[in-house]
Amino acid sequence: MSKTKGALIVSRSSDDDGEDDSLAQDLAGRLRLTIVWHLVGAIACVIGVLLASRGGDTQLPWMPRFALQIMFTLGFAGNIVSGFGIRTRSRWARPTSLAVNYLLTVVAVSITLHLFNAYRGLGHLGEGLYKAFVPFLVGCVGLLWVLVAGQLLAKRPTAQGPDQLRKAGWGLASLAGVWFVIAADPTGMISSLARSASRPLTIAVLALTVGAALATRFMWSRPVAQHFGTTRATEETLSGLAFLSPNLLGFGAFFAFPLLFSLWVSFFEWDTTNTGHSFVGFANYIKALSLDFSGSAQANAGNEVLKPGYQVLMHLDWFGQHWVLGARDIEFWLSLRNITVFLFLAVPLAVLPALFLSSILTSKLAGMKIFRAIYFIPSVAGVIGVSIVWGQMFDATIGWINYLLDLVGVTDAGAGQGWLTDRSTALLSMVVVFAWMQFGFNTVLYLAGHQGVPKELYEAAEIDGANPWQIFRRITVPQLRATTFYVVVTTSILALQLFDIVWILSLPEAGGPGFATQTPVLTLYLEAFRENKQGYASALAWILFIGIFGLTSIQFRSQRDEASSGGLS
Amino acid sequence: MSVKRKGPRAALVRALTYVLLVAVAAIVIFPFVVAVATSTKNNQDIYNYPPTLIPRENQTVSASSVGVEGDPKPLYSFPDSDATYVLVDNDVSIAEFRRLGDLERVIRVDVTLGIKTGDTVEIDGEQEDVFVVELDGIAVQAYRSRLTSGGRFVNLDDPSDIRFELVNLAEPETQFGPRLSNFSEVLIDKELGRSLTNTILVTLAVVGGQILTSILGGYAFARIDFKGRNSIFLVYLGSVMVPFVVLIIPLFQLMLQVGWLDNLAALIIPFVFTAYGTFLMRQFFVGVPKEIEEAALLDNASRSTILWKIMVPLARPAIATLATFGFLYAWNSFFWPLVIINSGNPDGRVLSLALSTLGGRSSTDVNLVFAGAVVAMTPPILVFLFAQRYFVRNSASSGLK
Repeated sequence: MSKTKGALIVSRSSDDDGEDDSLAQDLAGRLRLTIVWHLVGAIACVIGVLLASRGGDTQLPWMPRFALQIMFTLGFAGNIVSGFGIRTRSRWARPTSLAVNYLLTVVAVSITLHLFNAYRGLGHLGEGLYKAFVPFLVGCVGLLWVLVAGQLLAKRPTAQGPDQLRKAGWGLASLAGVWFVIAADPTGMISSLARSASRPLTIAVLALTVGAALATRFMWSRPVAQHFGTTRATEETLSGLAFLSPNLLGFGAFFAFPLLFSLWVSFFEWDTTNTGHSFVGFANYIKALSLDFSGSAQANAGNEVLKPGYQVLMHLDWFGQHWVLGARDIEFWLSLRNITVFLFLAVPLAVLPALFLSSILTSKLAGMKIFRAIYFIPSVAGVIGVSIVWGQMFDATIGWINYLLDLVGVTDAGAGQGWLTDRSTALLSMVVVFAWMQFGFNTVLYLAGHQGVPKELYEAAEIDGANPWQIFRRITVPQLRATTFYVVVTTSILALQLFDIVWILSLPEAGGPGFATQTPVLTLYLEAFRENKQGYASALAWILFIGIFGLTSIQFRSQRDEASSGGLS
Repeated sequence: MSVKRKGPRAALVRALTYVLLVAVAAIVIFPFVVAVATSTKNNQDIYNYPPTLIPRENQTVSASSVGVEGDPKPLYSFPDSDATYVLVDNDVSIAEFRRLGDLERVIRVDVTLGIKTGDTVEIDGEQEDVFVVELDGIAVQAYRSRLTSGGRFVNLDDPSDIRFELVNLAEPETQFGPRLSNFSEVLIDKELGRSLTNTILVTLAVVGGQILTSILGGYAFARIDFKGRNSIFLVYLGSVMVPFVVLIIPLFQLMLQVGWLDNLAALIIPFVFTAYGTFLMRQFFVGVPKEIEEAALLDNASRSTILWKIMVPLARPAIATLATFGFLYAWNSFFWPLVIINSGNPDGRVLSLALSTLGGRSSTDVNLVFAGAVVAMTPPILVFLFAQRYFVRNSASSGLK
């Protein structure tokens, strides 16, 4: 391997031997230009810091302000270092310059798009799509046509028909494109673009974008790499990071930063508008988790037997003595109780049928693929639509559930059980919907598990005259233990985050009736976006996260074990 | 389990197996059938009990066939008669009489038709006037128990046979009648169309962006041996463990400060970067034989040429899987739009959000809500059915939905 790499570098450099002199002069000139550019960049970064720090009416919110200040400061330092580095032909000059120019390009492009109102413009694009929906559909048909013709052409490359078909498809698609543009009426967008483009700040940032992009391209080029004697390893690191960079930048901005920021916020009293927040340490966590337990002489004692600020969560009768359990955040604890009940009902209901059905579907009987597909549909159909349909089926007076139960004689006609309005059945109804959505997905997970069970086991059992139930009980279930574990954990993680089903089915009172269907995620949402207590809600989020993290890490370990043994991969 | 054995016992087992599978399939399919049926019902039919799966509408005849003017008239029948009646006028004043001697017998006639005899009779301690009314062609004595409004029904075959009855006691004659205008009504009048196009836009952008970033990132992880690769990859792996609820509040703050609240950009840009998609592409690229690439490297091709000209065409199945997952995720997502699109401005809404608002606000129009639900559920189901082979194979290894 290393030999090939050496050979590659040699073969590359030998290509450039011919026009060496003029190239070298050219390179030196361009490098000087790059040094100048870095100085310009340094100045631009200073201006950037000043602009980002501006006060008054146009003051930026603190998050973008901090981010821009830090980035431009680093950019200033980076530009200076790069400029000197290129001058002294340091081997760090190229990576530094590339990093600085590349990041500057990204930041400048983002700011340019902002100045051009491109992000807000997405809304206008949505409107345009609405106005021009028919040409959009026609265009889709055209592209689909091209795709189908392409498939045909791949099968019979010499045939005339598919080729003409494909051309016709392109024709249709381009006609639809023109029609789309006319129907979507982009004149408003164009004029707003022109307006933004004529502002001096926009022009300056645009120039910065172009300059940084050109500098990046130049520093990336092969002659520059040779000039600075970049090693193979550095070259690999640079191109690896370059390929990864879009992903990595997004990961930082929309995952790593928010994750840490959420932890930070959880130690504050923090409201949405950002005007008032004060450090409270662990108070949010303490408030959420505080419980008080006290004995009581009466059977139904109220809040007065608890410490001040606590409310009664539940009454207990143990050893002939009355006990009262209280909590400071009673909603959160009720939601924890609900989700525990939910977990213990929903997970078996979503997993056991999957285990059983998968062992039928794995047989060679005709039509198994059709059943597999049917069972999978609920998990892809979209939780909102599905919940709305089930909500109507659970209706007390005209719902299908009551009607069907009447029909088979389980309940008296016209009993009118209000599944979703009765405290005792509301959560149960949501268990049904969840399990109905989830079991098909689990069935497919189990089908993958079946692939790993040795066929000889079944053959041997059949020769021994075992009946299907014995085979299921003695071979399938034990052999699928690892899969079962994985399925149970993934289903539990989903169940713990229950929100959408409850949101729709408990309308108009989210989490109702009473707090019968309140879930932790719902509590979090209501605290953060109705009560505006984002610091407290962040603490709830972290408590939940730690709980789910426990489950997930178990799953990860098992998945890794299985992957190494070739079970699921 | 291979069920290949022969004989009547095996056949019975097989038959029972299919019965079970079909029964489960029926449970799975039934809510969707209900959804489609309800989405085509009219505003009366949705309240009928028992519920039906076939959308029905009232049968009508032209007004001229019963000698009146105006709109087509609906047909009804009564439990005590085989004849079909036309509801000619549904708001006439009706007097309700009860026959003396048989007080259970209710006689309803036009308010002008009873003739007062001048006698009185005592009913439940009240003095009531005695009337003479016609019952089945015979004049009988009765007292007037109340005045109400109801309908005038004319026998379709015998125009001289006229009945006055309460409309809700009559049985409407119905026929199969899907109301397809529910769909245009919900898309245009209820503005779900605008949400639909927003969802399409968001979904296309998210899927396209995810494919692009995942191909680049997956290739880097699979094929380029750069410093820090393994530790970065470990962090990526770990990120899947973090539930989205932890990120909701800080991401909301971020969107608030960047000015993307109520904006489709907030639904697109944070979601074009996906750790899961990056793994998926990495797993695929790792499986591609290195020789293919090395031949191209010897020809002095650049990495991006290799990626786009050689690797990406090979990776079509993996890209299709990624696209399917991305589509389902973006199309069905609800929690994040609920947080971000919160000003009540319908122009920024996506379908799931608009649907939940519609379902909550005007749940009287169940048929319209269901039409919206059918519009929302159909594309993901179709995508799944077409992309099944990619989907089923890979959901097993994902552990992530």
